[in-house]
Amino acid sequence: MAIATLTDLTYWYPGAAKPALKDVRLAIENGLTVVAGRSGGGKSTLLRTFNGLVPHFHGGRIAGGAEVMGLDVIATPTRTMAREVGFVFQDPELQTVYTVVDREVAFGLENAGLPRREIAGRVDEALHAAGVADLAGRSVRTLSGGERQRVALASALAVRPRLVVLDEPTSQLDPAGAEMVLAAATSLVDQGRSVIISEHRLDHLLRRAAGLVLVDGGIVETADPADWRPPAPPARPERSAALGGEAWSLRNVSAGFAGQLVLDGVDLSGRSGEIVALSGPNGGGKTTLLRLIAGGLAPLSGSVSRRPGRIAYLPQNPTVLLHRPTVRAEVSFTLDRSGELEQPETILKELGLLSMADRYPRDLSSGERQRAALAAVLPGTPGLVLLDEPTRGIDSNARGALVSLVARLRDRGASVVLATHDEDLRNALADRVIHVGGGRVAEMAFAVPT
Amino acid sequence: MNARAVAAWSACCLFIVLSTTNPVYKVLVLAAALSALAAGAGIRRIRGLLIAVLLVSAFAIALNFVSAHLGTTVLFELPAQIPALGGPYTLEALVFGASGGVTISAAILAAAPFSLLLDSHEVMDALPAALSRTGVAIASSLNLVPAVATSFVEVTEAQRLRGWRPRGPRSWIDVVVPVVLTSVEGSIQLAESMEARGFGSGARTAMASHALGRSDWLLVAASGLALVAFAVSRAAGWAADWYPYPTLTFPAMDPRPIAACLLLFAPVLVWRSRR
Repeated sequence: MAIATLTDLTYWYPGAAKPALKDVRLAIENGLTVVAGRSGGGKSTLLRTFNGLVPHFHGGRIAGGAEVMGLDVIATPTRTMAREVGFVFQDPELQTVYTVVDREVAFGLENAGLPRREIAGRVDEALHAAGVADLAGRSVRTLSGGERQRVALASALAVRPRLVVLDEPTSQLDPAGAEMVLAAATSLVDQGRSVIISEHRLDHLLRRAAGLVLVDGGIVETADPADWRPPAPPARPERSAALGGEAWSLRNVSAGFAGQLVLDGVDLSGRSGEIVALSGPNGGGKTTLLRLIAGGLAPLSGSVSRRPGRIAYLPQNPTVLLHRPTVRAEVSFTLDRSGELEQPETILKELGLLSMADRYPRDLSSGERQRAALAAVLPGTPGLVLLDEPTRGIDSNARGALVSLVARLRDRGASVVLATHDEDLRNALADRVIHVGGGRVAEMAFAVPT
Repeated sequence: MNARAVAAWSACCLFIVLSTTNPVYKVLVLAAALSALAAGAGIRRIRGLLIAVLLVSAFAIALNFVSAHLGTTVLFELPAQIPALGGPYTLEALVFGASGGVTISAAILAAAPFSLLLDSHEVMDALPAALSRTGVAIASSLNLVPAVATSFVEVTEAQRLRGWRPRGPRSWIDVVVPVVLTSVEGSIQLAESMEARGFGSGARTAMASHALGRSDWLLVAASGLALVAFAVSRAAGWAADWYPYPTLTFPAMDPRPIAACLLLFAPVLVWRSRR
């Protein structure tokens, strides 16, 4: 029996001429359903129709019908749907209301007006169901990304929803954290709940999935998860230039914040035309290392040197950069200040952004924004390229384009440092892999894929 | 530590410090607030707050010194032709400015335990049911404040590397606009998350109710007694006001309002460190 049925559903965001979802006919069955597709294709919009955030929170126009768990989504406010449909968002930091784990998990129960004597038991039950019973009583600020996201899952489970929807819940997590969240999500199916999840790490999920929904350009189709194969990882581009001399170096560098050392006694260097990948857990010091190399953070001790030239730096949350009226203007901003003559269209074309060149960057989907930010920092010929999780939330096509672009910059002599959890990106680009964690750095054995 | 007991103590501090012009009582309240914070949070944790309070106080002192050309003890004089700044600079204006600085410092430090010593949910649990939803909305938005500070650093750094340089107030648009936009988007995402979790669906309950413990009752009693004693002292004329103009005099002191102020040191005894 279908738990969710969309009938000829079309949805337009406020002010949009084109619909974000077009004539969707879909029946979701019990069990695990995976939603896949290109970034900006409409996955998040589709997921938000299952609990009524679309259209009730986002506004806009909607036509057709949507019924989830027997409720008419269009006629039922999201806060009422919340009792049947739990929702977990991408960013664990932006869905936290309280500062303590138990209270955070209890938030939905308090909203539902549950008697106080019942809340503690339900919180305990939800923490166990999400596999985070040991976190009870902890301050949310002290949790890792993976732990935070599982607390968000527990919060969704506390109201005992029959359906749990997860929107790319692992996009900001390291492999260990992602594994934890996906294991917790799939275990819900064993507990008799229905789960709809949008994810880029599909291998593990597809083996367990009862249904697969593909979304692209607002068009929604279904496929058999047993037959469907995710796109192949990007190929490793041929190197067309030899390695050059030393481009940057850290000598016995220590760095940290508020009296706490994040990196201690680091000796590391990179050469022109070389791509170094930084690996390691969330909070291990990869971003600190990139900031040291960029010169944005001064070391507590030791010395940092870098060859003169422009530095292209993509921060961990790159969308904070975006503030110009169009994507093209973002690229021009960097080119104008660096005095380079390259046309903005060059990089926009390379990253598949030409069709969005005149759009307001913050109106784009999260994956498209990531590409816009990459275009904003990478035009021209930077001498040093520092990218912090550059593939966060982007699809396989965009990842392929990024690989080609970074390889081109490398071949022009740029020294590249990537902080990434993305194994495919690492395999496609890295010359060396450095593990960063526990305050130390260590070169990892890495066989360049052939 | 109970938020209602903290509120009672803070309210009493504010009442005394704002109801008198006598700097002796103000200084006592300031000392009580400082001691309470040191006992509850530790000096290291309140160092930043103390620096901020000192800066605000210094500004208040400077403002009064520069703008109030009253009093008889002239320290120096600037030509009267200088707009706004010209005239005599007096010891009385300096001391009255200092008294204002003490008032501001004491008021800030008396309210600080709410953010320094209590979690947002402890404050929310102490609110009456009618204010519960408003309290949740405020507390959750306060959770975004550290993210704003982080994004300010991140944006400044990233824009510098894109060639941005601070050249006058207009150039800061390239930093301030993305920080503001990011903050607004963060707030919208948080609101979306709260909506998805049923916020606003009806009357709320709370997971915990924090009953007043013995030490909380002690604090409430001490605060209440201090408030009544000081109010009576004011009414009876024992807690006389003070005004430094035209000639500086030493403020009057009386043991009864002093005793009332000393009761505000009760947190030193009952607040265990939350460092």
